[in-house]
Amino acid sequence: MSTKALRVVWRITRLNFRAQLEYRSEFLMMIAIGAIWQVSVIVFATVLLTRFSGMGGWDSSDVLLIPATRMLAHGLFVLFLGRVHGLARHIQEGVIDTYLVRPMPVHRQLQLSFFPTNAIGDLTVAAGLMAGALSRSDLDWTATRITYLIVCVLGGMLLEAALFTVVACASLRYPAADYWGRWLEELLGTFGSYPLNVLPKAVGGFLTFGLPLAFVAYFPAAVLTGHDTAVPYWLAAVSPLLGAAAYLGSRLLWRWSLGHYTGVNG
Amino acid sequence: MAVLQGWRAARVTPLGELHTPPRMTAALLRLTVQVVLVASLWHGLYAATGTTAGLTKDQAVTYAVLAVLATRIRELDQYAGRDTVLQHMHFGTIIYWYLRPLPPQRYYALRALGEQLYGLVWVLAGYVICLAAGVVEPPKSAAVAGVFAVSAFLGQWVLYYVMLAIDQLCFWTLRNGAAMLILIFAQNLLSGVYAPLWFFPDWFITMSGFLPFQATLSVPLSLYVGRIELSDAGPQLAVQAAWVVALALLTRLLWRRAARRVISQGG
Repeated sequence: MSTKALRVVWRITRLNFRAQLEYRSEFLMMIAIGAIWQVSVIVFATVLLTRFSGMGGWDSSDVLLIPATRMLAHGLFVLFLGRVHGLARHIQEGVIDTYLVRPMPVHRQLQLSFFPTNAIGDLTVAAGLMAGALSRSDLDWTATRITYLIVCVLGGMLLEAALFTVVACASLRYPAADYWGRWLEELLGTFGSYPLNVLPKAVGGFLTFGLPLAFVAYFPAAVLTGHDTAVPYWLAAVSPLLGAAAYLGSRLLWRWSLGHYTGVNG
Repeated sequence: MAVLQGWRAARVTPLGELHTPPRMTAALLRLTVQVVLVASLWHGLYAATGTTAGLTKDQAVTYAVLAVLATRIRELDQYAGRDTVLQHMHFGTIIYWYLRPLPPQRYYALRALGEQLYGLVWVLAGYVICLAAGVVEPPKSAAVAGVFAVSAFLGQWVLYYVMLAIDQLCFWTLRNGAAMLILIFAQNLLSGVYAPLWFFPDWFITMSGFLPFQATLSVPLSLYVGRIELSDAGPQLAVQAAWVVALALLTRLLWRRAARRVISQGG
């Protein structure tokens, strides 16, 4: 992206933010909804950790690293790349057709369509949970570990973005595919925050190779805390790289899908 | 005539679903995966633990799976049909609800009735399969089954009013997406969809006792799995009935006030 394009992106983002501020109570409630949604994960995790003695051999401080990593990755995804989720609405309302005739890439226009206020709430709670998880952790947080954690968060963000981009590509052809996006969001929120070895092997395998949810936070947390997983150590360790590769692949798929988009008028 | 009118309005949503087989296939797959995942999670959690929060493993699994099935009742994609109150308010088409010979509140109730009956077919089919596969336990006795049926009916009635109240919010707020999300979230959390309320701290259980949400799901499912004994069922059913009456009065008042806010062609 050129400097000029970056300046345009920045100006549009500022305008979008001001537009969100027009309805003050809605703005504050959108922040609240982001926070509340994430607090629900914390409540559920806390309830389970209190009632059950650890999960799948992980003690509570190690388990907390999983939702903290996932939430931070999710918050960043919502902030930077999240508008790809819910593309079907743009298609249904014909907005995507106007994107096609403007001199800016469609994907960028989609990401600049509005400011994701809820990301502020998401990231606030996620940062709080990460601070809590790190303070309870007995691990020696060396520069290498911290760098790896940061890279994993970014990799998780890209992996989540890749999954939603694939759904968006399907939406370009079948707008009803948006339904799968909502399901994906639900699955990531529900099962992306716990050690997957608590589940039967077949189910864990599905959430690793069928839907690569395990690579978002579970494997990175396992590598950091030294827990064994159902996959070889090296595969768990390269989770961030898989995220980056998956995102690049999904963008290529996006380009191909957009080329085959026909719109409501054929 | 009224029956015919009612039938036509009630069948709109089920017909829409039946004419989109991919959506039904997706719903089937999603429900199946969700049931398997939830049952696996609770089996895994109980692997090293006995009775927790008064719930045995079988009770917890049964509760969690039935909660997943129950969410299917009101989980139709109304948005794709462009017939949500939120969309009508956004596009200004809510006025048509007031121009028809059918009053909006009756149209809304009939649509919801059709949806809930359609969802019930899914739930019953899912329940029979889960029962046959041994994923959920059958009720302990005929009396428990009977009380559960009454409680589930009242629960759905309360749920209808809760969802209606959420929709009615649209009449007062220009942008209410966040408010609706918060209320839907509260409904899921406080009714025990995410996890049985018995696992939560005491203060949380006490607080939810003052709200209508637990009457929609937690009470009927607790009766089913035996976490609430039959001897305690009376007061619980009475509370559910009280919520039905209170919410009916509230939403009736809101319908009346909402009608005064609807404008056509700029007023």
